[in-house]
Amino acid sequence: MRISKAALLVVIAFTVPILVELRTVLAWVNVELTVLESVTLGVAMILAILVWALWPENGESGHSSTR
Amino acid sequence: MSNAYIDEFPAEARIVRAAFYSSFLALALGGVFGIIQTLHRTDFLRFMDSVDYYTVLTAHGVFLVISFTIFFLVGIFTWAITTSLDRGLEDIRFSWGWYSLMAVGITLTGVAILAGFTDATDISASVLFTFYAPLQAHPMFYLGLVLFVVGTWLAGADWFRSWLAWKAENPDERIPLPTFMVLTTMLMWYIATLGVAVAILAFLLPWSLGWIDTVNPLLTRTLFWFFGHPVVYFWLMPAYMMWYVMLPKISGGKLFSDPLARVVFVLFLVLSVPTGIHHQYLDPGIAEGFKFIAMTNTMFLLLPSLLTAFTVVASMEHGARQRGGEGYLGWLKALPWRDPVFTGMALAGLMFAAAGFSGMINAGMNINYLVHNTFWVVGHFHLTVGTAVALTFMAVTYWFLPQVTGRALWNRSVALGQVVLWFIGMTFMSNAMHRGGLLGIPRRTAEPQYEGFEFEAAVGSVAELDAQIALGGVLLTLSLVLFFANVIGTALNGKSDSLPANGYAETLSGPEDAPLVLDNLKLWTAIAVVLVIFAYTFPLLSIIERGGLFGPEVIPFPLTLESVTTVGIALETAATETVDGATLALVGVIR
Ligand code: HEM
Ligand SMILES: [Cu+2]
Repeated sequence: MRISKAALLVVIAFTVPILVELRTVLAWVNVELTVLESVTLGVAMILAILVWALWPENGESGHSSTR
Repeated sequence: MSNAYIDEFPAEARIVRAAFYSSFLALALGGVFGIIQTLHRTDFLRFMDSVDYYTVLTAHGVFLVISFTIFFLVGIFTWAITTSLDRGLEDIRFSWGWYSLMAVGITLTGVAILAGFTDATDISASVLFTFYAPLQAHPMFYLGLVLFVVGTWLAGADWFRSWLAWKAENPDERIPLPTFMVLTTMLMWYIATLGVAVAILAFLLPWSLGWIDTVNPLLTRTLFWFFGHPVVYFWLMPAYMMWYVMLPKISGGKLFSDPLARVVFVLFLVLSVPTGIHHQYLDPGIAEGFKFIAMTNTMFLLLPSLLTAFTVVASMEHGARQRGGEGYLGWLKALPWRDPVFTGMALAGLMFAAAGFSGMINAGMNINYLVHNTFWVVGHFHLTVGTAVALTFMAVTYWFLPQVTGRALWNRSVALGQVVLWFIGMTFMSNAMHRGGLLGIPRRTAEPQYEGFEFEAAVGSVAELDAQIALGGVLLTLSLVLFFANVIGTALNGKSDSLPANGYAETLSGPEDAPLVLDNLKLWTAIAVVLVIFAYTFPLLSIIERGGLFGPEVIPFPLTLESVTTVGIALETAATETVDGATLALVGVIR
């Protein structure tokens, strides 16, 4: 793990404000997301974060660092 | 044997505990009403009559922003005084006295509100937490509030007494920071509550008892906001205190600057009260110039909050680097995210930054017209008192509860989940409330759905906003359930003797760096009073001049049979004349 489990939880929680605000911001440039599209985008973001966080770092063979 | 607060101060710990439990009871009740009204106004679930909506909303407002917040803060203030002066309260019976007065007072007020749900009595108090005339409550409501506030005054006297006793023994020492914070906050509170005391004792209570027939609504409203703005700092300053004295400790570091913290609290003391008129930008009958003065003071009031943001983040970074954090932003990873006390406070602080931005919009005299009394405002204060304060209080509960009960926290992971869930729920709810407000959706409305008219959403639809609000509300309610699970679980836990020791953060730059004048409480109080006199004398005088002390001249009610006929004839003549006039005008228009 790249970050602690608790930090991961907080990072994932942070996708919520980003997602919610992004919808308004994108509307300014005439990109209007539907709810479904927003949710899909959110799931994709969370997956990406999970992959980034859980991917073993070089040299570190998968065991998680505890903090 | 551990060195927890309860071991040092067993008698005081009982008071703090009683205050906390009273506060949690209010939080639970307030939360229940919160979800009921959320589902009602968004039209997801309407099991009550809309007529009862104001009763629910009054209960939500009063229980949360009066009982929950204030009971909690008298608990931590008691802790702060005793811990930082390292002495027990002077007379514990006196302390139980103020606690009981507060408890009796809020019970009277609460009963008056809840009685509004039944027709069995004619007692009711569905006047919302602002109790603006002409909405009138049962006298019990006002009386309860008076007792509650007097209780807080006595609590303040108790803490001042501790400080004076300590000062007599330590004449050359600086006031310890937590005590300094309590004292400045209480001085601010004494000045602020004068407004509401006059509003209730001189006008609203006599009016509700039938001793006087009318009041001047603009006058009582202005007196309410004289108190209503500073009360937000009464909630916020204890939360700030936690950010200054607990957050650095929990992050593993020290407070960046003690002098800066003192400056911030002095600024709050000086500037909190002469700003209340910024809640009345839209009130007719107050000249623009006075509103402009209030706006200027308000903008100055941003300064201490920005100073706080700086000091708190600097202290957190210091802590993270002590824990081995490195890099430009990499230190963030070294923060103790696993600790709900830390994470809760950090998220609360972050949401407060967002609240600051929407607050600046509210504070601007002209742009305020856009959002005044809309759902935007509700979105704003659920970030301030509903999160910056409430989430900070819930987070520090996880530290304080073991300290005052002597029992270990029931479950740390549940606690972490709880604070994160509050953050997520509030993001959904307040974002949609803000956006709804921009479309003109009103606050304090049971059914903001109108026939033949649709609010037009800029992005998405109103139905989506409603769904987002309801989703947020449900998540917040879940979060509360987790919170209470922990409170109850902890109370049922066995005694533990491996609790962390009682204490608070040390400082990098200590009181020896703070100019002595900062501790001159008399000076700052005097300046605060002068500013209040400047800001309020002329507005109050002109309100009284225009609308009368007790409202416009009362037309004497006809008492005799003769006078009834006279008045009747007079009314009839007037009515016919008006009709005649209207007919003439109409004929004129048609021609
Ligand atoms: C479960 C969590 C909560 C939910 C679902 C919730 C929901 C709501 C809603 C929907 C309103 C607006 C009603 C209207 O204007 O028609 C409201 C008003 C309000 N809420 Fe909350 N709230 C919650 C927690 C809190 C907390 C923690 C606080 C403060 C500590 C708070 C303080 C207030 C106040 C002062 C009002 C305004 C009352 C009035 O207009 O008279 N709420 N709440
Ligand atoms: Cu204000």
